[in-house]
Amino acid sequence: MTASALLETAALLGLFVLAGGGYGSLYSAGRLWSRPALIRAGGICWALTFVLALTIAIHTPLDPGWKLLILASAVVYAVIPPLTWRYLERLHDEQEPHQ
Amino acid sequence: MYRSQKLSLRYYTAAVALFGVMIVFGLLSALYYLYPAMLYNVFDFHMSKIMHIDTLVIWLLMGFLGAVYWYLPKELGIEVEGMWLAELMFWIFCVAVAIVALVFVFVQYGSANEFSMWFINQGRKYVEAPRWAAIGIVVVMAVFAYNVIATCIKARKMTGIMWVLVLDLIPLLAVYLDAFPAVTNMSVDLYWWWWLVHMWVESTWEVLIGCVMALVLMDVMGTSRRIVETWLYIEVMLVLGAGILGLGHHYFWIGTPQYWLGIGGFFSALEPLPLLGMVVHAIYDAGTHRMKTTNQPAFFWITAEAFGNFIGAGIWGFMMTLPQINLFSHGTQWTVSHGHFAFYGAYVCGIIAVLYVAKQQTSGVDMLAGRAWKWGFGLLNFGMVGMVMGLLLAGMAQAFYGRAIGGSTLMAFTSASENAWFVSGMWARLFFGFVFAAGYVVLVYDLLTAPKRVPVTRARLEPA
Ligand code: HEM
Ligand code: HEM
Ligand SMILES: [Fe+2]
Repeated sequence: MTASALLETAALLGLFVLAGGGYGSLYSAGRLWSRPALIRAGGICWALTFVLALTIAIHTPLDPGWKLLILASAVVYAVIPPLTWRYLERLHDEQEPHQ
Repeated sequence: MYRSQKLSLRYYTAAVALFGVMIVFGLLSALYYLYPAMLYNVFDFHMSKIMHIDTLVIWLLMGFLGAVYWYLPKELGIEVEGMWLAELMFWIFCVAVAIVALVFVFVQYGSANEFSMWFINQGRKYVEAPRWAAIGIVVVMAVFAYNVIATCIKARKMTGIMWVLVLDLIPLLAVYLDAFPAVTNMSVDLYWWWWLVHMWVESTWEVLIGCVMALVLMDVMGTSRRIVETWLYIEVMLVLGAGILGLGHHYFWIGTPQYWLGIGGFFSALEPLPLLGMVVHAIYDAGTHRMKTTNQPAFFWITAEAFGNFIGAGIWGFMMTLPQINLFSHGTQWTVSHGHFAFYGAYVCGIIAVLYVAKQQTSGVDMLAGRAWKWGFGLLNFGMVGMVMGLLLAGMAQAFYGRAIGGSTLMAFTSASENAWFVSGMWARLFFGFVFAAGYVVLVYDLLTAPKRVPVTRARLEPA
């Protein structure tokens, strides 16, 4: 790995998780306040997560195994927030049906 | 108030005091990077750093103990069993910490023999306390475990949170025993030592803070038990699933077999995923129960914990957890940046939340709000973010100039340490360290002053 590739790769890896977190936060906030615009912004953030994963796959000198893992986790990032949200809602409804 | 809650307040007081000692030695340690000849042969960097990180571990442990002694009687509905022993242990703990601190400051080191191991320093990073004191810590933790288990038995009641807590205390205590062996083979020694450090911060402590946060959520936000418990089970499974074998990210370059490169990289790359789930959970809870919170500072600190854990451990960890990156970043200020951010986000924020829970109950106000806590919150967070950014800059400069370009020679290390990026990162860390210290002062001030009585109805409607 060249010196500049090192910093670029590390930055891409950090931004990748950051974008995933941004998506999770925006999506959750959108659901919370029923704001479709926020959910859409979250969607854009996830698209960014995916683009970052692709960039890592194409552009960086990481081993193919790591690239695959990152692409796969980009997909997992997509499902975590909606899955968690739905699950929490279901628990909550069972618990406090009046709400 | 239960007797064990009074003990809890004592633990909190000791914890906050040691937090202060830790900050003082953090600032001192930071100064050596700018004035390397400072206090040469009087009080060297390594002693200052030992004071800094050992007090870190001790004050967080005291905070955890305080939180559990606080909630245990509430959770089980009876006074904690064996209180006299618990109270005795508190004083033994404090006296032992004081003696060890005095030895570290005034004796510092001895010859490489058994005597030094027993009475001066055991030499394992983060848990340097000499053997007699380390045995003391085992006894304190064992009594603590006894308190918890005996109270559960006496109450004939086990809640889900209590099960998780009890089952977690066993490995938590067991891996601490790794502080003891005196193995002369460096690889073997480090191999086991990492069980202690990694299995604490990325497994057993995560579970412990998960239990504490579950209790706080029920208390402060009125979240139902069913929700926090079901969530806790899932979280624990995911965190342990990735965290235990994530251990491998410390086995890249210490002489352990090559397969650890794959195992460590793979499992630790999964570690941010459950942390993302926690962020979603925090937002859900914040929103659904927002109107019910009567303890603003605790609420904000729990939220900060969820985000801080994700960013400090998740993002900062992920950046350098793949072996191809870690080859260059290993042991630089980059690691220090992650270490600060993760410890702060995952644990410090959580402990501060429980301090505010105690403050509300001891002062008996219906609503805890006000202005001072916001300054503490702002300065501590701003100071920490500033510090870790400075450290990241410095660490990247080290990895770039010292490792990738310079090829990790001593000369390259030295010239990277004089590099302008590195030096400005060190100054930034010092500056923001002072901001952080100011935040600590405000925090202590706010915790100690009686809160204003705010009418509940008005404050609830106030957006914050
Ligand atoms: C609350 C959770 C965490 C805490 C408190 C924490 C803290 C720390 C600390 C203090 C160190 C430095 C250890 C030393 O050399 O003395 C460290 C190292 C490291 N951490 Fe974490 N960490 C956490 C979670 C994570 C996660 C989730 C990841 C990966 C995604 C990670 C990846 C790493 C790596 C790769 C190193 C080794 C750095 C090196 O080679 O120098 N950590 N961590
Ligand atoms: C005023 C605030 C602080 C300053 C100026 C400071 C400074 C320092 C310095 C200079 C080191 C030595 C790094 C090295 O070996 O190169 C260090 C290590 C460390 N500090 Fe702090 N610190 C502060 C607050 C904190 C806080 C609040 C935490 C925990 C949340 C913390 C956790 C650690 C850890 C885990 C290490 C060991 C890191 C490693 O060796 O990889 N510090 N700190
Ligand atoms: Fe680790």
